[in-house]
Amino acid sequence: MSQSLRPYLQAVRSSLTAALTLSNFASQTAERHNVPEIEAQTSPEVVLTPLTISRNENERVLIEPSINSVRISIKIKQADEIEHILVHKFTRFLTQRAESFFILRRKPIKGYDISFLITNFHTEEMLKHKLVDFIIQFMEEVDKEISEMKLFVGGTVPLLARAEVNRLQLNARARFVAESFLTPVSRAVAACPAMS
Amino acid sequence: MSIIQQHSNATLGDAWRTINIDALTEDSSVNFDTSTLHPPQPEISEADARQINTQVRQLLRGGDAEGALRGCLDTPVYNGSEAAKDAHLQTITEVLQSIKASEMSPLLKSIYSSEGGNEALDVLMKYIYKGMGAGAPKVSRTPSGVTPQSTGGFSQVGGRPGSNEPTGAAMSVLLSWHEKVVDVAGLGCIGRTMTDWRRV
Repeated sequence: MSQSLRPYLQAVRSSLTAALTLSNFASQTAERHNVPEIEAQTSPEVVLTPLTISRNENERVLIEPSINSVRISIKIKQADEIEHILVHKFTRFLTQRAESFFILRRKPIKGYDISFLITNFHTEEMLKHKLVDFIIQFMEEVDKEISEMKLFVGGTVPLLARAEVNRLQLNARARFVAESFLTPVSRAVAACPAMS
Repeated sequence: MSIIQQHSNATLGDAWRTINIDALTEDSSVNFDTSTLHPPQPEISEADARQINTQVRQLLRGGDAEGALRGCLDTPVYNGSEAAKDAHLQTITEVLQSIKASEMSPLLKSIYSSEGGNEALDVLMKYIYKGMGAGAPKVSRTPSGVTPQSTGGFSQVGGRPGSNEPTGAAMSVLLSWHEKVVDVAGLGCIGRTMTDWRRV
């Protein structure tokens, strides 16, 4: 692990651990509704100060805590155009399968590549430290995967043809990676008997 | 007059769908006055912030790093203009960058054990997060109110990557300070950063 990655992930880990203290809170606007307050934004007093942790301009995490939900948005490192495309394809693949991930948000918030939404129901069903581990592991793996995919795409094919030729290969690769991410989540869920 | 004739361009659009009617009700939870959640703070002007900056620099030149850090942490700009807040953030960042990595932990421990030390470290934590958030796009804290927003389509146009060299070094300083502060003051100081309505 590189020198600056460790303190970055450590800061994300401690901030997440502190932020994941959620409790059940019914909506104050609509009777018998229970919505994530960070998404609804209908009660300003229960939405807390958002925290930003950045490694540099292009890599940062935004943690927006509220009384019953935490929204975590990650900006993944994109050094050039090809990585930009790879990140877009990769996150798109994941968000299309958001329901299998439980905590994944279907659409990233503006300025970030992928968002997670953890509510009090998630923390009741799943183990908190496993959730934190999952996010950290995701951040560790995603950089590695993007650079591996970049090597995979690279070669002697001209740029335009390359994108076309490798699209299918990329999709296959993204599928493989996404499935490998699904395993720890299902394991975390399985670790808690309340879920089954 | 028939119903069709009452339509104008304004009513035919779909912008009215995004009007938040809750915001128009006075006793709705959307209109909660968050200024009641913290005591009133003395206002600090930009000139005051600059004065603190020069005092802190003098202390730094004299080699009194702890006094310098303590001096700027005791006067956080809770209530003031953006310029004053930014000036104070810059002061604190300068102090943090001038302290050597080996001196961080003993210095934090001695601040923490002194009177009002945990309060000072909470303030430090707030500024560390503010410093890291300085480059990020602003998140709108207030709900959009009654202004209708366009329901336009999705845009694929994102920010293009730029150079990141100077900020990367500043961030790694803040990240190592973050780690040290958590070591000394525990996770509670992050929790208080989130929940405290006195924002820097």
